[in-house]
Parts: sequence; C-alpha cells; structure tokens
Amino acid sequence: MIQGYWHPQGSAERFVATFEINDLGRYAIVFEDKTAYRGDASDLKVSDRLGNVYRKITLEDGSAFTTLDNDAIDLLFKHQQKTNALVHYLETHMRWIAVALIVAVATGFSFFKWGVPWTSEKIAQALPYETNRLIAKGSMKFLDKAMFDESNLTKVQKDEIRLHFEQKIARLSIEDEDEIRYKIYFRSWTMGGSEIPNALALPSGEIILTDKFIQLASNQDEIDAVMLHEMGHVVHRHGLEMLIEGTFITVAVMMMTGDASGMGDMGVGLGSALVSSSYSRKHEAEADLYAFNKMLKAKIDPKSFSNIMQSMMDYMAKENNETKKDDKKGYLDYFASHPTTQTRIDLANHYSKCFKQGLTTCK
Amino acid sequence: MEALRFTGAGNEYFKIWIVNVLLTIITLGIYYPWAKVRNRRYFYANSTLNDRNFEYHATGKQLLLGFLIGLVLFVIYNIVTQVAPQFALFFMGFFILILPWIIWRSLIFNMKVSSFSNVHFSFRGALKTSYLIFLGYPLLIIFLIVMVGIIASVAIPSLQSSPSDPTFLIIGGIIIGVFSMILYAFAIALIQKKSKEYMLNNSFYGQGQFSTELETKKFLSIYAKGIMLALLPLVVMGLGFVGMGVGPGAEILFIVAYFGFIIVSLLAGAYIMSRIRAYVYENTLLDDRVAFESTLGARALAWVIFTNLLMILFTLGLAMPWAKVRMANLMLENTLVDTSVGFDEYITQEQARGGAIGEQIGEAFDVDMDVGF
Repeated sequence: MIQGYWHPQGSAERFVATFEINDLGRYAIVFEDKTAYRGDASDLKVSDRLGNVYRKITLEDGSAFTTLDNDAIDLLFKHQQKTNALVHYLETHMRWIAVALIVAVATGFSFFKWGVPWTSEKIAQALPYETNRLIAKGSMKFLDKAMFDESNLTKVQKDEIRLHFEQKIARLSIEDEDEIRYKIYFRSWTMGGSEIPNALALPSGEIILTDKFIQLASNQDEIDAVMLHEMGHVVHRHGLEMLIEGTFITVAVMMMTGDASGMGDMGVGLGSALVSSSYSRKHEAEADLYAFNKMLKAKIDPKSFSNIMQSMMDYMAKENNETKKDDKKGYLDYFASHPTTQTRIDLANHYSKCFKQGLTTCK
Repeated sequence: MEALRFTGAGNEYFKIWIVNVLLTIITLGIYYPWAKVRNRRYFYANSTLNDRNFEYHATGKQLLLGFLIGLVLFVIYNIVTQVAPQFALFFMGFFILILPWIIWRSLIFNMKVSSFSNVHFSFRGALKTSYLIFLGYPLLIIFLIVMVGIIASVAIPSLQSSPSDPTFLIIGGIIIGVFSMILYAFAIALIQKKSKEYMLNNSFYGQGQFSTELETKKFLSIYAKGIMLALLPLVVMGLGFVGMGVGPGAEILFIVAYFGFIIVSLLAGAYIMSRIRAYVYENTLLDDRVAFESTLGARALAWVIFTNLLMILFTLGLAMPWAKVRMANLMLENTLVDTSVGFDEYITQEQARGGAIGEQIGEAFDVDMDVGF
C-alpha cells in the first residue's frame, strides 16, 4: 500500500489516499472515508523517476495520484519503465557516476585538445579553395583602415622584393596548392608610438610585410624565411581552420553551459581564450615547419629564420622598455611574454644543422 | 506568508547532471534536449510550497526541433559574423525583428508546461504588445536620442557667440551627454517596467490571474542607487590609482583595481536585481488576494554568485550542479507566498498549443527570459 495524494483532473485540491495493485492487475485508490477508485493498471501512466521527487500516476480520466514512495512505484511498474530505469540506474550507482565523470573529463579534454583541431583541419582541407577567398574578402580594406599606413619604402625596394619572390619563392608552394595567387603588400604599422615589425598573410594569399620588418631584416634570406612561414599559413588554410575552431568552441560552450544562464560566463571567456591561443601556437609551429622544409629545398639556411625572429624580439623588448619608462605600463609585460619563441628558434637551429650537412630533409 | 523550499541536494543533482553529460556525449549531442528536460524537472519538482511541488512537463521530443533550429541558426550566425561582418548586421537586424516573437512564444510555452500542485500556468499576452515593448519602445528611444543629438549639433554652434571659443561647445556637449544618459536610464527603466507588467499581468495560475502595477520612477531610483553604489568605490579607487600611479606598486594596484571592479559591479548588479525583485513581488497579487514577497538581500545574492563563480572556475565547470543548487536554495527560501487562502479551488484551463521553437531559438542566442521565481 502506497501513501500519497489524489488530485481530481487539473485541480490543485488533493485528498489523502492510498494506492495498490492486486494480483489481477487491477489498481485501487482508497480514500480516508473508504470510498475507492478502481481500474485496470495497464491504463495508468507513470512519470519517470528522477531523484526522489514526487512521482505522478495519471489515471485514464486525467486525475492523478502523487507520492514520494518512489521505490514502491518502481517495483510496481518495473515493466513500463525500462528506458527510464536505465537512466535512473546510472544515476544511482557510484561506479557509473565515476565512469560518467571520467568519460566527461576525458572527452572534454580530448575534444578541445585533439578533436576540434583535427576536425577543423579536415573540414578546412575539404572545402573548395574558393572559400579562402570568400573569408578574406574585405579584410585588406579593413586592415588598411584600422591598422596600416602607406609604406615608406621606395618603389625600387618594393619591386626588388616582389621580383625575387615571384622568381624564387612563390613557385615553392605550387606542389601543395596550385590555385593560390600570392600578392605582396608593403605597409607601415605603428602602435603606441612604436613601429611594429611583422608579416601577415590573408587566407587568399595576400602577404603583408611591414616597413619595420624590412628594415630589421639584414639580408634577403631573412625576408624569404618569413615569407615562407606566411605561405605555410596560407597553404595549411589556417584562416579557415581558426574560423571553424571558433565556431566549434562557441557551440560546445553554449551546450555545456546552456542552463547556467550567465553564471559561468567569466570562466567561459577565460577558457576559450586559453584554448584558442593553444590552437594558434599549433598553427605557428606548422607554418614554421613548412618554412624550414621549403628552405632546405631552396638552399636557404633555416638559421635566417631564427636570426630575424631574434632581431624582432630584441627590437620589441627595447621598445617595450622605453615605453615602460615613460608610461609605467609594466604590467603589459605579463601578457606580452612569449615563452614559445625559444622553442621555435631551437627548431630553426636544428634545421640549420641539416642544411649545413647538405640535406634536403630533416628530422 | 510561507517561504518556498528547495528539497534537492547538490550531491544528488551532480549524479543526474553527470549522467546527462555522459548520455549527451555518447549520443553526440542528440540527447541534449532530454538532458535539459531532466535538469529542469529536477529543479521544478524540488521546489515546494506548502508541501506541494512544481512540475515541468515539456518532453525532449518537444524541445528537439527547436534545439536543432537554434543550433543551425547559431552556427550560421557564428560563421557569418566571422566571414562577412557586413552580413552579420543584417542577421542581427533580422534577429531583432523576430526577437519579440521568440519572447512571446517562449513565454507561452514555458508557462504552459509548468504546473504547481497539479494546476498548469498559462500566458495569454498579445503578440503585438510584445512587439511594442521589445521593438517599439527601444526604437523610439534610439530615435529620440538621435534627434537630441541632431538638434544639439545644429543648435549649439548657432547659439555660440564667437566661433573660436570652445567653452560653450564643451558645456553644451556635457549637457547633451548628461541628458542622453538620463533619457537612456529612463528608457531602460520604462522597458523593464513594461516587460514585467506584460509578463505578470498576462500570466495565469489555473483560472487565477496575476496582476501587478509598477512605477517607472521606482525602477529608475533602484538603478540610480545601484549605479551610485558602483561608481563611488570606483572613484575612490581611481583616485588611489592616480595618487600611487608613479611607483613600483603600479602593477599590484592595477590587479587590485581589476578585481575590485569585478566585485563592485557584482555587488551593484546584485543590489539592482534583489531590489527590483522585492519591489515587483510586493506589488504582485494572484487573484487580487494571494500576496508575494521577496526577502532576497543584495549581499547574500552577491556572495552566492561570487562563490559559485569561483567554484565553477576552479573545477573547470564540474561544480556547476552544486552552484545551481545553492542558487536555487537562496532564491526559494527568499520567496514568500501568502498561503492562507489555499490553492484548492484552482483548476487548469485548456488553452491553445504553443511550440517550443521560440524558446530554443531564444536559448541559442542567450535570450534569458526570467519567467521563473
């Protein structure tokens, strides 16, 4: 006999009652005054078990019996409740909770560590080349408006670099992707009073070199090294990959915190920033490797890459120090530090050794 | 007056939650709507008043279609914003146009699938009122602010005695700026008031109707106090910043100021939320006789939000179930209802069907409709 309440259909009013099912499969709801409500147990609908919340049995006329005696209900209706019984079984057994916990943590970790980058890469490679042009459309205009100024290099300087690129460098990537049309742009980029040495590539093959970078490069090999690195980004379709990765992260995070209504927003922002920066480190490493291999083929010493990296780092460190003295903006150092640069330089030196032995491949 | 009680527990909910996560992973996300139903059911069913409980009746199947539509729209939106920001604007415009519809659908659906003591809630507001409040008023306010700007930019130079004297221009600018800010604050207060009234005055518990009458100026004063509460410490900190600016402690000061800012805005947010809640509750009646009250304090709310945030951060999200239970406990034990009349005569009213599509689209774009407690 199960203790509970009986509600008339759709009514908040309730009456103390008991519930039972006899051997013939007939149920009886008996009230305090001994009147009873009887019927066939197979017509009853039982709500799913969930923790220890009120269980509801709906009768054929829409009235309902509710009780907290969940275990007794489970026993009476074992055959009707198969799927739910499984979920409830998982929820109440510690070893399954442990399994769920391990699966959740492992899946979460592998999803972000390997799943997202791998899938993004596959999707990016499978998309038609045209997509690269599509996503880069308008970027150059935007960059010109937001960041860059006209270059101060002479036409002779520019033409020289362009010609060299066309003749010696551009064709190195044809075996990987023959649809790319590279184009070199020269711009000046100033931020916070100091000129920034940098090179960027758009997914559609535009490579932008800043004036300061050209100034810091001590020879043609150093410029070639950086351009090959940028071509690595283009060939590997890193722009597309980042786009797809970003979408994955946002959707995944939305699903995980769907019910949290803003509670974890701060953590989410921090988390996705960390995850994205780990992806972009992976892209840099890929582009580096691409550049080193091509340099071996083209007989350029990979050492040039570490040289120009070193020059740019020294220059930025010097600039930072000067601004620091003026503005007391020392805290920027915490965010600007680049611990992985050393690894990149080490790898370049490793490839340089192969180069000196006259090898065209390295590992 | 009797307080609501939350009968769930963090440990129990964690198990339900982690199994939901497990099943969602194994089914590659398809289980998500069912998981969501289970989460909701747990919180509704464990919310009790007078030994009677709430119930959430939506099924995973009902939510699935809306979930898929929401997901597809969300993915498209994400790609569009990154690929072609100029189209993102159109997308946003389209979304703003359908938002009142989503809110309306979502209210109908959520109320319909909620019940207390076997009696369902319902929402019977008109779609056009939703458009008026969530599209009409905001557009009107934007229009007014733009007009003020245009008039000012014409009027100020023409009133200026000598064109080379910038004082007049600066003073005029400040006056216009302050005026726009007041207009903006007034607009927020007005829209808040209207939307609370829309939601409550069109909500029914069985045959009983909720009713509320709110004043814009009360919202305005709560906002004003909340903003003052946030500004004062910030000004003090700002002065400290200037005073200590030159010295080796600048970095530490920056970090202190950063966390100070988070805590202060948390406190101010909690203040505004709890005061508005209290004001709305005490001015709401069911059937002109069942009264409500909120005893939620700003400090208690800020404390729970802040500690929940830390818990979630340091466990990479695994503490979410406990955080949610703590929040539910706090909310419910500070919600008081006059139970002296009793609920026995309430009866569910039949009503038109409302689909879950609006609700799920809303969730995908993080439109958080506060229809609960």
